[in-house]
Amino acid sequence: MTQGYIVLIIGYIFGFYMAWNIGANDVANAMASSVGAKAITIRQAIFLAAILNILGAVFVGSHVTDTIRKGIVSTEIMTDPHIALIGALSALLAAALWVSFATWKSLPVSTTHSIVGAMIGFGIMAGGFNVINWGNLLAVVLSWIISPFFSIVIAFVVFKIIVRLILSRKNSFEQALRLSPFFIGITLFVVVLSFLFKTPLGEKLALGPQAALAYAVLVSALLGFGATVLIKLSVTDITSGAEEIFKKIQVGTACYVALAQGANDVANAIGPLAVIYFLVKTGNVGAKVPVPIFLLLFGGIGIACGIAMAGHRVMETMGEKITTLSNTRGFSVEFAAATTVLVASKMGLPVSTTHAAVGGVLGVGLARGIEAVNFGIVYKIMVYWILTVPAAALTSMVIFKMLHLIF
Amino acid sequence: MRIPFFSMFMTSPFEGLQEHAEKVKECAWAFQQAIECHLADKCRTFEEFRQEVIQLEREADTIKRRIRGHLPKGTLMPVYNFLLFRYLREQDQVIDSVEDALDWISFRSEPGIPAELEKEFVILTDAVIDPIEELSKMVVEARKYFKNYSEEQRVVIKNIIRNLRQQEHEADKAEDMVKQKVLNMNIDPVTVFHMVRLAEIIGSIADHAENAGDMMRAMVAR
Repeated sequence: MTQGYIVLIIGYIFGFYMAWNIGANDVANAMASSVGAKAITIRQAIFLAAILNILGAVFVGSHVTDTIRKGIVSTEIMTDPHIALIGALSALLAAALWVSFATWKSLPVSTTHSIVGAMIGFGIMAGGFNVINWGNLLAVVLSWIISPFFSIVIAFVVFKIIVRLILSRKNSFEQALRLSPFFIGITLFVVVLSFLFKTPLGEKLALGPQAALAYAVLVSALLGFGATVLIKLSVTDITSGAEEIFKKIQVGTACYVALAQGANDVANAIGPLAVIYFLVKTGNVGAKVPVPIFLLLFGGIGIACGIAMAGHRVMETMGEKITTLSNTRGFSVEFAAATTVLVASKMGLPVSTTHAAVGGVLGVGLARGIEAVNFGIVYKIMVYWILTVPAAALTSMVIFKMLHLIF
Repeated sequence: MRIPFFSMFMTSPFEGLQEHAEKVKECAWAFQQAIECHLADKCRTFEEFRQEVIQLEREADTIKRRIRGHLPKGTLMPVYNFLLFRYLREQDQVIDSVEDALDWISFRSEPGIPAELEKEFVILTDAVIDPIEELSKMVVEARKYFKNYSEEQRVVIKNIIRNLRQQEHEADKAEDMVKQKVLNMNIDPVTVFHMVRLAEIIGSIADHAENAGDMMRAMVAR
């Protein structure tokens, strides 16, 4: 099956290209708040983002990949390996084309939406409209509406809590120090849980949901207090108030976002690639095949390369633009975005990191935390986002037709 | 627009507000110099100072229009945008009134302010200078408050607003003194009208500063 191997190589190239694009474009959303609030430097941001995207992709990521691969397009069409192969390749090409087009035209197109649209296009071409699992697709589309909203609510509530319990108090510095184990603990709780819950690691440790929950509580409580001790030791300037403490906490939340991003976005790059891989290796795609770790690692490294090569330029412009975001705001934004993305990826929903981050900023804006936020931009984003899915689907259909004629 | 996250952040209108307040503050000095010069016997530089104020007013106007022009619908801010506009309007009227006062003097520069009224006008001028200078301080403190939302910071702003009210009251008294005196003087009626109107215009500077303070009070309301 030499033809299959050619397709596999092309698949690897374009899968890597997609991952590279995610790293180059979307990482800014993840690290913007921390760099803008001067919690970390650009160099540190790139380093952290690269490492944690790989970690997130490998250890937390596999669940979303399943949904993109099998959830939307039913496995019926996968029975013909030839069509499935061409289909997966055209989906990957179409998505890559759309992301390139968006980058060229400076449009805010999400890689998540491109890949889902392209998969739909391939499904329609291969088996008509009835192979699309409309129920699952609806769930995915709903998650795109709910995720920014969820993020808005979390950011709003977190920021209001910070204002009420810390900022408006007389000794905001001490209050922030006293409550920091709580904030760090909650963050760590979600992270630890995401590592243990429904992942290969969790299965290896043979933890049930309750055990995972208990472990997460224990670990996060311990680490939370440990981190607070570290903060207490490292913060010397008491006059700077609560922001100084959140500056330290933000280093952690920056990692949190990068981790969540890796976990969620790796699927966009290697979803179709995984289909191609299985078809070439086994000749067919079964109902249940796990995504091999090395594919996740491949995607993670692709993202990391994108971050390392193009992240610097993006983040430089960012540092100049986001000056009004102080540390408490940045924390609220990042916490909301990362929690949304991580929860969604655990539920197998491929949401967009960008939308979660945008939602986080709007939430803080609604809580009157930022001097000026343009809410109107949301409508613009929504238009592009609605357009991306059918556009990618159409592109994918055209490419499918062309490849079908060639092979 | 490629990265939507960035396009959400826009230039803060408070930056413009602060810039505008600085212009207003700058004109206070020129205004005081102009009045003192006009009261002196041989004044040559009044026109220079007036031109300076006109120039500052024009610059402040540009800033005002820039702020208004760059707040699209759906901008989220720590305050309602209509409050911000009302505040800006009052702050702008402070500098407008300063310019009006100097213009009014220039319309009839001879014979100038009668010697008997000099002392009263000096008091009135000094009384309106303080509130003008207080404005820029208030904007700076307000921005701090919108950052840290601390109760202590709110008290700082409230104290400034209280000062403004107090100063406006002082300016009112000074204005009344001028009017009372000039209306009971046996002089040319045109001069009487010129002086009464001048006192009113100068007095309105403090009024607008106080109004700006009231708007600020609404902005920092919890």
